[in-house]
Amino acid sequence: MQTGGPSMRKMAFTLLWIVIALLYLFPYTWMVLTAFRNPIDTLAKKFIFAPTLDGFRTIFIESQFQKYLINSILTATPTTVLVVCLAAPAAYSLAMLNKRSRVFLASVLIARMVPGVAILIPLYLAAAKAGLLDRRTTLVIVYSAFNLPFAVWLLRGFFREIPAELREAAIVDGCSEWQVFARVVLPLVTGGLVATSVFVFIGAWNEFLFALALTQSDAATSPLAVIGFRNEYGVQWGAIGAAAVMISTPVVAFAVIMQKYLVRGLTMGAVKG
Amino acid sequence: MSSAASLNPRDRSRRVALLFLLPAAMVLALIYLGPMLFALKASFTAWVMTSPGSEDIYIGGENYTDILASREFWSAVRVTVIYALSSIVCGLTLGTTFALLLDAEFHFRSFFRSIMIIPMVITPSVIGIFWKLLYEEDSGVFNAVLTSLNLPKVSWLNLDMALPSIVAMDVWQTTPFFMLVIFAGLQAMDRSMVDAAKVDGATATQLFRYITLPHLVPYMLIATSFRAIAAMGDFDKIWLLTGGGPGARTTTITIFAYKTGFSAFDIGRTTAIAWIFVVIVLVASSPLLYRLFKNAMAER
Repeated sequence: MQTGGPSMRKMAFTLLWIVIALLYLFPYTWMVLTAFRNPIDTLAKKFIFAPTLDGFRTIFIESQFQKYLINSILTATPTTVLVVCLAAPAAYSLAMLNKRSRVFLASVLIARMVPGVAILIPLYLAAAKAGLLDRRTTLVIVYSAFNLPFAVWLLRGFFREIPAELREAAIVDGCSEWQVFARVVLPLVTGGLVATSVFVFIGAWNEFLFALALTQSDAATSPLAVIGFRNEYGVQWGAIGAAAVMISTPVVAFAVIMQKYLVRGLTMGAVKG
Repeated sequence: MSSAASLNPRDRSRRVALLFLLPAAMVLALIYLGPMLFALKASFTAWVMTSPGSEDIYIGGENYTDILASREFWSAVRVTVIYALSSIVCGLTLGTTFALLLDAEFHFRSFFRSIMIIPMVITPSVIGIFWKLLYEEDSGVFNAVLTSLNLPKVSWLNLDMALPSIVAMDVWQTTPFFMLVIFAGLQAMDRSMVDAAKVDGATATQLFRYITLPHLVPYMLIATSFRAIAAMGDFDKIWLLTGGGPGARTTTITIFAYKTGFSAFDIGRTTAIAWIFVVIVLVASSPLLYRLFKNAMAER
């Protein structure tokens, strides 16, 4: 390998990565292409084809896909805000005020491990009894609780990197704990807040099980909408492709743009524990 | 003077600490603790939603003994274990390979790293629906590729292939997670050791076996634990690709619980399954729980 020198080696690896990326991302590429293909071209498995926007026309005009998209936005966004508002003080407390809050720490960890399906039936019954089925508010509350343990854990890692002396100095200067938190410490963990928000947003945007059980039509989110295009009349591939692109593009764009934060958050949450 | 100011500083900060934790604790209690306790109570009843009054009939541990004696439950446990284990083994192997390849020097490295994480974040329900198109026996893309290579078609979603097929779909989605975590591990490695070993004449295999791999083991373990927990709870992809079928070949515990709850409306049994499931997951994740908790307690 050394014979060609470092630049040859670099080129070889670049070529290898082009091949890996093409093969590995093939299902995704195919999905995006399907959105712009006529069904007949999809069945013929054509790579070269005359692009059409029929799929998008179907989902937005013949079906009410925009309603589901709006529901998704109006569910995932408040969830993200709520989770950050709840998790940040808790994580701050765990990292700087009461580092050995055993009970809370243990319950956060255990909650993180509980599978969603385990609390699904009780939540369904409670929501039905309270007349809260098929409401976005219900999803926001459930999603918030679901994302809270990871958010607390992640943010705690970021808060821990702030020197304790900073807080002590602010206290000496006459700040209350709340002021220290809101004005001194919080601005220093912006990266952590971004990472947490990205994770929570993606989690809430992609959620399916609770949306399936707790909504019918008014509050149904876009991951549910794709099912509608696979019905007894056959599979509308153009529509499914278009819907798939509309649903996945926001999270894919988010992840690629916020990659730096995502990676930092992941390694922090996953590796440091 | 307010009562907070009259306390000594230590008590005051403890009180503030609890106040900061309170909102999060309340939400966790509302959505986890309440439902879990409710489920525990319901799991000892003969509650079926279609027969009114059945929620007050207490039958002791009958739901639990029934489930633990049923073939369907153990089949679901088996499917879950095979699914999670094989997905992790493949994802870890492929993810490590990608991470090592990503660690080399080449053009547009950060671009490739960015696009490789795409499958990780795509909405699982979209993946479930879409992989069905890829797996379709006559019109599917995978079989078209096989045919063009003069290979026989595969019935991807039949009795024998359905489980491997859902595993393959999951591996595709989760490999980037392993790649990212292990790549982070590689970046955190002390390169001077590698250089020193190179000077001493170590081969590439020796370098990997005795230096790189031991360094990566903790990263692999943590990534594996997180994936194991997530895989046990997987629902959307599998539900939309196979619906748990054919037969019960891809019915995991989650799908089993969902079916019992939402097609049979058997609340007593479903809540009992939920509790058994929670116990299984907590026991399986106890090494990770213990490690995370111990580390957190030992900090600073």
